[in-house]
Amino acid sequence: MTSGGAASPSSTFRNLETRLTVNLDRVSRTANVALVLALGASFLMGHYVSFYFHFLTVSLLLLNAVNFYWRHLQARHTLLANYGFLAQVRYLLESIGPELRQYLFANDSEERPFSRTERAEVYRKAKGIDSSGAFGTQRDLDSSFATLRHSFFPAETSTPSAFEVSFGGQQDCPHPYTARHPVFISAMSYGSLGWKAVRALARGARKAGIPMNTGEGGHPKHHLAEGADLIFQMGTAKFGVRTADGQLDDDLLQALSAHDQVKMVEIKLSQGAKPGKGGLLPKEKISEEIAELRGVPRDRDVVSPAFHPECVDPASTVAFIRRVQEVSGLPVGIKFCLGRDSELQQLVREMRSQDVFPDWITVDGAEGGTGAAPLSFMDGVGLPLFQALPTVQKILAEEGATGRTRILASGKLIDARRQLVAMAMGASATYTARGFMLALGCIQALQCNQNTCPVGITTHDPALQRGLDIEEKSERVARYARALCREQGELLAAMGVRSRPELDLSTVHLPTLDGVGS
Amino acid sequence: MKTLGLWVLRILAAAILLPVGYQKLMGDEMSIMLFDTLGMEPHGRVIIGVVEIIAALLLLSPLAASGALLAVGVMLGAIIAHVTVLGVEVGGDGGRLLVMLSIVFASTTTVLVALRRELPVIGSTLDRQGGEGLP
Ligand SMILES: Cc1cc2nc3c(=O)[nH]c(=O)nc-3n(C[C@H](O)[C@H](O)[C@H](O)COP(=O)(O)O)c2cc1C
Repeated sequence: MTSGGAASPSSTFRNLETRLTVNLDRVSRTANVALVLALGASFLMGHYVSFYFHFLTVSLLLLNAVNFYWRHLQARHTLLANYGFLAQVRYLLESIGPELRQYLFANDSEERPFSRTERAEVYRKAKGIDSSGAFGTQRDLDSSFATLRHSFFPAETSTPSAFEVSFGGQQDCPHPYTARHPVFISAMSYGSLGWKAVRALARGARKAGIPMNTGEGGHPKHHLAEGADLIFQMGTAKFGVRTADGQLDDDLLQALSAHDQVKMVEIKLSQGAKPGKGGLLPKEKISEEIAELRGVPRDRDVVSPAFHPECVDPASTVAFIRRVQEVSGLPVGIKFCLGRDSELQQLVREMRSQDVFPDWITVDGAEGGTGAAPLSFMDGVGLPLFQALPTVQKILAEEGATGRTRILASGKLIDARRQLVAMAMGASATYTARGFMLALGCIQALQCNQNTCPVGITTHDPALQRGLDIEEKSERVARYARALCREQGELLAAMGVRSRPELDLSTVHLPTLDGVGS
Repeated sequence: MKTLGLWVLRILAAAILLPVGYQKLMGDEMSIMLFDTLGMEPHGRVIIGVVEIIAALLLLSPLAASGALLAVGVMLGAIIAHVTVLGVEVGGDGGRLLVMLSIVFASTTTVLVALRRELPVIGSTLDRQGGEGLP
């Protein structure tokens, strides 16, 4: 407080918060050692003072045994593996949490960005636990909540194959790609994620047969090692395929595209959580490996530009898309968060006049997640997904481009309902990043930018990553993906939808006046 | 088959614990001698006797996991007593007490490991499947 005299109350509070977290971390480590020492002390007291102390000795012996199991022998619970018995206190609080919260703190639907109810649903899917509820919805259905319209005449079952998505067919791409399910893992770079999280996601993606976006983390070494279908993301700094001055290196891209596993390339123009702002990777976080994979020096911070140097107006942007398509020979998409309608219109017009279309357009909602971004950008810039999607669909239709490209959508699409709403608004498939983080065991500690992630996902600290068991968590990732597909099928059947074209705006109910819900 | 085996162990352990606990409560010569040596006469003897009887009853009930935990605790205490104070042979019994102790310890440990998931509070974290709670 004294040293940071000018700090605002809120930043002081945030500092305090980090300090508390770090201390808790230390406390738990000390506690694990203390538990062993206490056992020894109690034994000595029992021997020299009074045999009654051995009541304590026996209890501590059992507690030490269980603590050892938690920390070293089990892989299910990251927190217990990392912190030992003190984390059990957290589980205890979790189990009585609903009651505590109901009377004292926030309720089940209040936490942000994902409420406890929403997160618990992902955890259940990831663990393969039945998720039926009872008594009725907890949602406020008549406010702004989009729901699906069922049919008087449901389908027996909706065949998932009707929702296969293929890319590249529209532009005579030499290596088109077909995804069997409309659920993709969205971009999260190696750098924002630790290597274990990347491995677990990639292995899970392979098991579930879904594609995974590499994020703008450079050469996808860890992704390639697990054998999943990959969408290579080219960020504005072009990590992994850049020349020394940050332009596209055609040879590197060609070499990368030659990998069998690299199925598509996504050019990132912007991202919902920080549209119009490039990323920053502080030099402390740049390990030898990350520097090598990204093709950058280690001795300074790496600042990604806000835009691609090749893309300064609609004409140059479209030309760049064509260049990437030609060099890679793969389907190529662009990812952006919608800003101004008129600019998108000009861009699509330019595509038509050059007769070059990206194989897909990823629309990222402003509610999207990020490893690190200024609060002003997270909160203040860009259009939310359900506002943007109808606009994009309308502009594509007006410019006669609907059949020439596809739409992918992302932005809190962590359950089948929101995914189907997005698909009814024109998306061919859906991406989620944070849904899969939750499946990995994310507890929404909101520390992705601090290298202190308590469950080892967004950190490079080996001590924190220790508890993340790749095989175990990859199962959860796969189960979550399969559960999403299954749930989509069930909902589609209830909606009487048997094929992709039947899923349109008439099948969803958007309650608010301007036609958009949450 | 597995349940049957566990039932055999549960009954075996209870069949030893019940009379042993009862003797302690009644204060037979042997028990008094033992707890005198440990410096826990009479309170320690009564407490242990009660715990043994509770453990035996729980072992025969649906709360067998908790019963096994209690019994394992008592047996660990007894092992400590034998190792640090009493030695192998107690009152010229030719090690009979130690044999009974070992039988109860082995059977209740097996029951405890097999039924660990049913333990209150921590049970779900000892399950390879993971519980209903958060990760
Ligand atoms: C930890 C983290 C890292 C991310 N890294 C990238 C990235 O490298 N490139 C990118 O385009 N988007 C990145 N994103 C954004 C996601 O790909 C996605 O667009 C956004 O989170 C919306 O999806 P969601 O709401 O399902 O998480 C990242 C998000 C998170 C949470």
